[in-house]
Amino acid sequence: MSAAHDELKHDAAAYALGVLDAAERTAFEAHLATCAECTADVRQLRLAAGALAHAVPQVSPPPSLRARIMGQVSFAAPPAAASAVVVHDRRGLPAWLQIAAMLVVGAGIFVYAQRMQARVSNLEAQLQQAQAQVATADRQTAELRTVAFRAQSAMGVFAAPDVARIDLAGQAVAQAARARALWSRQRGMVFTVANLPALPPGRVYQVWVVTAQAPVSAGLLTPDASGGGSVYFETPVDILPPVAVAVTLEPAGGVPAPTGERYLIGTPSAL
Amino acid sequence: MVIWLFAAVVGFPGRSSESQAEDQQSLQRVAAGDAGGLGALYDRHGRSVYSLALRILGDEGDAEEVTQDVFAQAWRRAGQYDAARGSVAAWLLVMARTRAIDRFRARRVRPEGRVQDDDGLTLQQLPATSPDAVSEMMAAERGVRVRRALEDLPFLQRVAIELAYFEGLSQREIAERLEQPLGTVKTRMRLGLLKLRDALVEVQP
Repeated sequence: MSAAHDELKHDAAAYALGVLDAAERTAFEAHLATCAECTADVRQLRLAAGALAHAVPQVSPPPSLRARIMGQVSFAAPPAAASAVVVHDRRGLPAWLQIAAMLVVGAGIFVYAQRMQARVSNLEAQLQQAQAQVATADRQTAELRTVAFRAQSAMGVFAAPDVARIDLAGQAVAQAARARALWSRQRGMVFTVANLPALPPGRVYQVWVVTAQAPVSAGLLTPDASGGGSVYFETPVDILPPVAVAVTLEPAGGVPAPTGERYLIGTPSAL
Repeated sequence: MVIWLFAAVVGFPGRSSESQAEDQQSLQRVAAGDAGGLGALYDRHGRSVYSLALRILGDEGDAEEVTQDVFAQAWRRAGQYDAARGSVAAWLLVMARTRAIDRFRARRVRPEGRVQDDDGLTLQQLPATSPDAVSEMMAAERGVRVRRALEDLPFLQRVAIELAYFEGLSQREIAERLEQPLGTVKTRMRLGLLKLRDALVEVQP
């Protein structure tokens, strides 16, 4: 320390004059950070070094120089305030300090980028959630529309001029079951049922409109806990007049043609 | 030394701090894009900037170009000026010295085909004058005293300081130029600069 001081204190003047080379400068600044004596020395020597600018013979520049300078800036873009604020003149800062500053700024940008990334992810998640909610709302609206349409259609069946009534009787496997179908070629079929046995797992009731050609599936029927329910089915407009309506027990999802046991069956009668 | 430092910091609050306040106002106008602010700065400091460049370069045309560069740079970088690091006058003079020495070196090195020493010295890294130098540097009579003090220095001390300040030579380059040992140059430079400081201190009341 003391040996370093004895050697480096002689560089104080050159340092104050700004003429140390890079290696000398680094060594001197390292010493400066720990030496109060040299720090005070540099302070005073800089004062003297700065005074040298005024020690030169003062000579007036030609008057035309002012006009040139003013002409130069009046055609130049005005100073950019933003860049001027951000970019600092680092002249005189030691190299390690400049690097440290860059590292700090770099770390800051990194942290900022990380935060922005987290924020973007968060916003994306929120957006997905919102989109999911919209999709749910859309689906619910569609479902409600269908329900409304069906209710309207069901009402339409009752008022249809061509409505036919088919009462169905429980068969051997479900003797207590009863059902009534109201069918209109234009408006479809309202099917009301009571006392059907509870469905075995993996099974579903399927309603058939039996025509002269073949049974046509009207749709699936899942009765409530009491074995009852009321369902509206659309039926093809070009369907042949039904000769019977039947309910069979079929595998879940239904089948194209009846395969299972008949639970209910009935034939049309005039209203 | 404590007394001296006290005097250096609080001394001469009059004219120099007033002109520094004026300079800062002008510089704020410049930063806002007002060319009038630059004109005011030039009127107050154009002469000393030009004189320093002329002393370093010894050529009027070159000195004019450097002066033009300095004020163009002041126009572009007014927002970067930091009052904590020195007066506006010192800021302009540091720019003048840096640019003039850069030009001087380019002129000196190229015709001789000499490869410039890779000593890493760039004048961009020259330290600014210290804040308390600010108030000291403003008065013109101070300059006269410094010049006299410089002239009174022993030859080797004076030349070492002048080569460093006006030509930006390193201690090693000065030792080569003067054919003196490096250690001698170091001690002479330090001694001479301390005497200049003493000359400044003597003018303090």
